[in-house]
Amino acid sequence: MKTLYLALKYLAVTLWSAFVIFPFLWMLSTSFKTSNAVTGGATWLPWAQFEPSLAGWKSLFGGAGGINIVKPYINSVIVTGSASVIALVLGTLAAYGLSRFTFRAGPLRNGDITFFFISQRIMPPIVLAIPFFLMLRWLGLLDSLAGLILVYVAALMPIAVWVMVDFFNTIPRALDEMAWMDGCTPVTTFFRVILPNVLPGLVVAGMFCLIFGWNDFFFAFTLTFTETQLLPVSIVALNSSVTPWWSLSAAAIVSVAPLAVLAFVVERFLAKGGLAGAVR
Amino acid sequence: MAEIRLETLAHRYSPGGTYALKPLDMIWRSGGTYALLGPSGCGKSTMLNIISGLIRPSEGRVLFDGQDVTAFDTGRRRIAQVFQVPVIYRSMTVGQNLGFPLVCQGVPAAHRRKRVEAIAERLGLTGALNRPANALTADQKQLVSLGRGLVRDDVAAILLDEPLTVIDPQQKFELRRILKEINAEFGVTMVLVTHDQTEAMTFAEEVIVMNTGEVVQAGSPRDLFERPLTRHVGSFIGAPAMNFLPATAQGGAAVVPGTGLSMPLPEGAGSALSLGFRPEHARLATADAILSGTVTRLWFEGLDEIIAIRHPAGEIRLRAPAGTGLVPGDTAGIALDPGRLRLYLDDRLMA
Repeated sequence: MKTLYLALKYLAVTLWSAFVIFPFLWMLSTSFKTSNAVTGGATWLPWAQFEPSLAGWKSLFGGAGGINIVKPYINSVIVTGSASVIALVLGTLAAYGLSRFTFRAGPLRNGDITFFFISQRIMPPIVLAIPFFLMLRWLGLLDSLAGLILVYVAALMPIAVWVMVDFFNTIPRALDEMAWMDGCTPVTTFFRVILPNVLPGLVVAGMFCLIFGWNDFFFAFTLTFTETQLLPVSIVALNSSVTPWWSLSAAAIVSVAPLAVLAFVVERFLAKGGLAGAVR
Repeated sequence: MAEIRLETLAHRYSPGGTYALKPLDMIWRSGGTYALLGPSGCGKSTMLNIISGLIRPSEGRVLFDGQDVTAFDTGRRRIAQVFQVPVIYRSMTVGQNLGFPLVCQGVPAAHRRKRVEAIAERLGLTGALNRPANALTADQKQLVSLGRGLVRDDVAAILLDEPLTVIDPQQKFELRRILKEINAEFGVTMVLVTHDQTEAMTFAEEVIVMNTGEVVQAGSPRDLFERPLTRHVGSFIGAPAMNFLPATAQGGAAVVPGTGLSMPLPEGAGSALSLGFRPEHARLATADAILSGTVTRLWFEGLDEIIAIRHPAGEIRLRAPAGTGLVPGDTAGIALDPGRLRLYLDDRLMA
């Protein structure tokens, strides 16, 4: 009975894995194909079924008919990374404040302020496009990394606040009070006592920030022209009247890779229980 | 280890609102044990939070050893607290937990280690020093909380906020014993908040009974037992509760009709009279019975029996040595030393 159950479980997991992995395999094989191989029906095995070519990959690094994605790639890493770190730091501090201290801004209380943060994500981004554009122009930061980082911080911070407020709320206030009694200042209380308890929250919020930031096309497209390009924009720029499936596939692989690696590492970290028990 | 003095202390959570804590004056001697006893919402936690500095009182002052600390932040008051639900620095080991107050004070590591080891030894936590604090049982966590107060040699007082509520009965007894020992050994002032009268009476040299934001009576456990200042205290302290029977004024005496219970009535006393006595102070009697009635219920309590007797004036309970042989329906009489009788007017003790 138990063996049957296990067998069924593994069968289900295997089927699901195949379903999830298939697009990646498809992308991988397509990235080594030429125009003829792509249009010549479904083929899988290089050399046996089609002659592999590096043209798709070469076009990512300035090869014929392509765009050099190295610089946009680095730009994306810088913008997403710094915006995520800044949003995480500011968002975590804000969330701690909102979870622990009583605020009043006119008729607004803590709950309303928290909702105000989250509400920034409720409206469609297009609503913000023109205001952001005007503000960046006023600051002289259009088409610059700094400008993009600012905009991304604004877009990512609500996520950090939202996730972290919930995590802070699970930590009993008595822990703060105890630390104060032990002679901690509020700042050391936060860093030495409270923060170690919300590590899983930081990981979750950080993942959200990185994924949203990395995947954003809209702001990267509307707020830059030629100087500063981010990866999603340059991938779209690869496209032409005849869709270059091979270079698009290669680009898709390199753009998904960092998030996949990150997800793998974090999953390992969480599953290992390195964080289990930190809360409760 | 400080004397705690509360001067005309009172607190309202909103200006002009009702008092969460009505004005009170109190002096707690250095090294003493005190218990704040009362039902939830009676203001005892408010009082504790005022002493620890988590709440700033709206009126009055708090003094530690004569120094006004009313405006001091919690961190400067040198207070330790054991909370109702065991709280611990979950990301640290037991040793780091115990040493944390010293880290906050900037005590050098070598001295810190010595203090932590000494306290851990005293509390029987030596073997657990390097274990994650999270893995401890609830009663061990409470010990660690206590230890955090003891490692600092300047601690003014240790506040205990219903520390035994979530502890298993077995460990409860043990922990209570340790608290008493620690108090005697370290001479540290301890304030226990509880709604359990047994806990308060066995722990403290002075019990402060509170109700609806007011100190109803403060005194030694014996005082509270022998001379409850209000009927509320009489009912709250002691198990079973004190007996109260309505009395009427008859020629200069308060008398419970149909019984031999009677007390001289002071001049000008009003009408809402009652006489009270402890179930422990009454005894079964036949010849010199001052009242008798029908036995309605019996509770077995080991060496004792609690017997409930119905009388037209009301139900009376008394504690008698087990083996009375009484069954419900029997008629029983009780006798009472007149010196044990208390007279209450409008629920307050008169004599």
